[in-house]
Amino acid sequence: MSLYALIPLLPLAAFLLLALGGRQWGETSHRVAIPAIWLPFGFSIGALVEVATHGPISISLYKFMQSGSLVVELGLYLDSLTVLLLLLVTGVSGIVQVYSARYMIGDPHHSRFFALMALFTFSMIMLVMSRNLLLLYIVWEIMGLCSYLLIAHWGERKAACRAATQAFLMNAVADVGLGFGVILTFVTFGTLEIPDILARAGEMSGQTINLLGWAGLNWPIQTVTLIALSVFVGAVGKSAQLPFHVWLPSAMEAPTPISALIHAATMVNAGPFLLVRLSPLVVLSPVAMTIIAIIGGVTALYAGVVSLTQTDIKKILAYSTMSQLGFMVMACGLGAFAAAIFHLLAHGCLKGFLFLSTGNTLYTARAHEPQTLPPPLGEGRGEGSPPRSLCIGALTLACIPPCVIFAGPYEQLWTVLPVASASLAFWVVGLSTVFVTAMAVVRGVLMFFQHGPTVDSPAGAPVRVHPRVFSPFHLLLVVSGVVVASGLLMLVWTWFAQFLAPALAPPGATLAATDAAPPAAISWGLSVWILVPLGVAVCGWGVAYARHLNPGWGAPGPSEWSRRLYVFFLNKAYFEVVYDMYIVEPVLRATRWLWQTVDRGGIDRSITCVGGAFIVAGQWLARVVDVRNLDRVPGGAEVPAIGRGRWLRRGIELCGFGTLVEPDPQMTEDTARMARAISPQTIQHHVLVMIFWLIIAVGLFYWFAP
Amino acid sequence: MTDLLTDHLLSWMIATPFLGIVALAFVRDREWMYRTALVASLLDVVFAIVLWAGFDFANPGMQFVDRTSQLPTFHIQYAVGVDGISILLVLLTVLLCPMCIVGSWRSIPTRPKAFLRLILFVEGAMLLVFSALDLFLFFMVWETITIPTYFLIMLWGGPGRFAAGLKFVLYNLTGGLLLLIAILGLYLEGGQTFDMLALAGQSYSSSTQIWFFAAFFLALAIKLPLPPFHSWIPEAYAEAPAAGSALLTGILLKMGGYGLLRFCLSMFPDAAATFAPIIIWWAVLSILYAGALALAQSDLKTLIAYSSISHMGFVILGVFVFNSQGLQGAILQMFNHGVTMGGLFLAVGQLYDRTHSRAIRDYGGLHLTMPRFTALWLLFVIASFGLPGTSTFVGEFLVLVGAADDHLAVVLPAMGGVVLAAVYMIWMVQRVVLGQPQTAAASRLQDAGLREMVTLVPLAVLVFWVGLYPAPWMAMTEASVTQLIQHLTGDPVLATLQTVPQP
Repeated sequence: MSLYALIPLLPLAAFLLLALGGRQWGETSHRVAIPAIWLPFGFSIGALVEVATHGPISISLYKFMQSGSLVVELGLYLDSLTVLLLLLVTGVSGIVQVYSARYMIGDPHHSRFFALMALFTFSMIMLVMSRNLLLLYIVWEIMGLCSYLLIAHWGERKAACRAATQAFLMNAVADVGLGFGVILTFVTFGTLEIPDILARAGEMSGQTINLLGWAGLNWPIQTVTLIALSVFVGAVGKSAQLPFHVWLPSAMEAPTPISALIHAATMVNAGPFLLVRLSPLVVLSPVAMTIIAIIGGVTALYAGVVSLTQTDIKKILAYSTMSQLGFMVMACGLGAFAAAIFHLLAHGCLKGFLFLSTGNTLYTARAHEPQTLPPPLGEGRGEGSPPRSLCIGALTLACIPPCVIFAGPYEQLWTVLPVASASLAFWVVGLSTVFVTAMAVVRGVLMFFQHGPTVDSPAGAPVRVHPRVFSPFHLLLVVSGVVVASGLLMLVWTWFAQFLAPALAPPGATLAATDAAPPAAISWGLSVWILVPLGVAVCGWGVAYARHLNPGWGAPGPSEWSRRLYVFFLNKAYFEVVYDMYIVEPVLRATRWLWQTVDRGGIDRSITCVGGAFIVAGQWLARVVDVRNLDRVPGGAEVPAIGRGRWLRRGIELCGFGTLVEPDPQMTEDTARMARAISPQTIQHHVLVMIFWLIIAVGLFYWFAP
Repeated sequence: MTDLLTDHLLSWMIATPFLGIVALAFVRDREWMYRTALVASLLDVVFAIVLWAGFDFANPGMQFVDRTSQLPTFHIQYAVGVDGISILLVLLTVLLCPMCIVGSWRSIPTRPKAFLRLILFVEGAMLLVFSALDLFLFFMVWETITIPTYFLIMLWGGPGRFAAGLKFVLYNLTGGLLLLIAILGLYLEGGQTFDMLALAGQSYSSSTQIWFFAAFFLALAIKLPLPPFHSWIPEAYAEAPAAGSALLTGILLKMGGYGLLRFCLSMFPDAAATFAPIIIWWAVLSILYAGALALAQSDLKTLIAYSSISHMGFVILGVFVFNSQGLQGAILQMFNHGVTMGGLFLAVGQLYDRTHSRAIRDYGGLHLTMPRFTALWLLFVIASFGLPGTSTFVGEFLVLVGAADDHLAVVLPAMGGVVLAAVYMIWMVQRVVLGQPQTAAASRLQDAGLREMVTLVPLAVLVFWVGLYPAPWMAMTEASVTQLIQHLTGDPVLATLQTVPQP
């Protein structure tokens, strides 16, 4: 049973081996990394079987720490949710590793790349397997670090550095939420073990907390709401939901396999996973659920629209990921947790496929960056065949939302909200997003292959490609295929929902008692509704295709309004600009002001002024008492170069009233002379004087002592 | 012979650096000077391991106590011992000094012998501060440490060392004066004794407590430092040589935190409880204020100095939340702070040795030229802002959990300080490590050599050890902290403080 502990440990071992073994692995680093990911995949299958037959597995690792009532025991927990995600994570990560073995040939940091990929995979595996919230938080952050280092893989590029910093910091800000949630959970429940927390979540639903008690205000918040929202803030950061989404498109600066890993297997999936993992807790708070659903829906729509306007293939994919994640989050907010995980798995597989295909294309085009749509075409044409895998992947992506989201859990989505208008709003948002996503993806792929080149390619006049896949006949074939597939999916869904149900209910609760338990069988009458979203999606493809054939078709004319809207979304609704202008810049300016004016000019100066006043008083005293006579050594010669008055004056100039910033040459020279003056001889002299006084002092002690 | 050694283990530990100073007198060759000093400090490491092995985790009282009467007339005695509160700091002192000696092997151009003597002097004196059981002894050594540190700054420091050294001395003497007054007052109030255990065992009237608490706290706040008493720190750190900065931040600052636990909490629990709400917010403000200032720095060493001030805020926060998570977190955080900040300063020293520049804009692209160094540098950076998995996280998490118990509202702003730390550190990494080299010098840098790796790797190992398996480290502090909390919450088991029989 504890064999399953090897699932995270093998990638960790690979990381350590590659990180410490350093460069001697060189170009063969992948030989270490690949088995270390594929073996856990095998174990995961075993775990799936065992969980399906015997129920959840719990493994204790070691006692992390103990302090008072805080006892942290690190452990792993495998239930149906965990094993499903394990399959996705290890499977996709394994494929990406195999892919990268070829993709990264010639890269000078081969071993580092594979070491970090192994660590990245390890942290995601650990995240889904963690039994303890603290362990979850630890690997959550380690994953952020891995993404930072991998995005900065080509660190000599300015854009990559910027993207990496942005990704890390945005996640750091959001992770305050998760961290706060973890602490609050401990304060509320007195434990950090996830199964215990979920089992006791129901008891806490009435408890409130007053955050403003210290200020004498009474503002009670439901504790569960606060915990759910704090945790959700962390999820928003990792899953690139509004308003912490800016990092994901920028992260496209990473090598393409890393993008595949981030989008398909690790990182962004952590957000929905966390919400589903804590679902028995989250569902207790209607406020939190509503906020989650709204943020998810808005992100889905926003990202879909933005992806319509982008011209960089990887950016289009990034925004489509965001939009899909928005769907998952929205599903979580609506209580359709099983649907969210179903969507997550399907999306993970497809997005991985899509990114690797893109990587192929870009590799063929020998243009890693930037992937602006027109130019790669011109160059890529002569190199190889048009990668149809990309087309297939894209089309499938276009139908995930309708097929997956609306096929199985349709009833849940429809019936979960008591207020009809609210659920109608989510339907409108959902359907428009389906439409926009379908359109955007088809548009992206069509442009990638069929757009006329806008720049001269070095290879001469480029030839237009016309992949046959895009004939209307093929399109029709695909559509009918999708309809059939969605029927099959619904069958899979029934099994899936049943399999996942125990993980979603609070441990200990019987299945029948929970309202969230999914229906045992699909009622075929209602599922006719699946045709609605599917139809919308097909409309989306149609519009995109029609506009591709005839660019003027259906356009509302070049009105000022539509132009402005286009520019607005082309610039991603100016989120980045606003963050830079209204958060980053003012904060930097404020800290500079704080340093120059308050710290140096205020606190430091006032304190040195106090010191200076004493020095002036001391000088006055020195004039009166004439210290100079006392300062003569017995031989009669004055201590050279370091008269006391001079020392004091320097002190005033440097420390008190003079400028600290700009030392003038005279002062530097004096300082140098000072330093010379404090030679060992002088020190010895001073030490002798000190010892002399000490002896006298000790003598006096004993003289006066009774 | 073995009896002499084992009975007076702590005294031997304290004496070894001073013996090293004497031994240095017989060495002329530069290499041999360093080797002698290194042997002395490594000998102390051996003693420390013996001490650690012999330390009874379950005993909350003083262990390895060694007492002789010095000035019986004034009840001044030489008395040393360690308990759960001081053992981590003793270990830290002993661990950091060899690193400082190895780290400055090539970077001290003049008077290496004097330099090594001062380093060893600081080590011995710090051990004495952390283990002194006599208040007068404590104060004497506390004040004495100012002198070698001053000379470390003045003789081997950067261009602004004169102002920095002067400010350092004036600040610390002012603090020392307050401490002296408080200690003399305590001597008179507490029945004419300097014995810390006896003094802690007494109870003082609440008005007396408030005055003593204020005096001690202000004196310690300068050392910690707590803004607005911090302005000596950035200059002193920036101008001191790397080993000096590492010692200053790694060990000397801990005197403040140690004093808070040993005096402010143990001796004046009522006053501490009275002032705690103010101090907790003060600490949080200090975290945020120093963090914001670090964001404005263009000099590597002042940036780390301000971040060091910011992180010490967590220690103060943990001390004043009065529960075992907070206190254990604060003690652990002092240890972690010493390791990570010491590592960072030593690493900056390695850069400074190569380019003689501390300005952030003079670097860039280090990952191309110095991959090994970059890995270690990044490691200390992430450890300094408390990334989970590193040691600092454990300390900060414990402090925050402790704070959440009664003061939930301070948790969010304190976590904001962690984010600020991530911001200035990662931004610094972007400018120093990533990108292209900004100067010709930065493009020709040599990667860290064997000696430099030896300096940093042990610290890096500690960072992960404490970060991933803190249980044994926390077990060391547990018994003493539990007892201190009983003392704070008014449990009448004060007598257990004096469980160790007096010779």
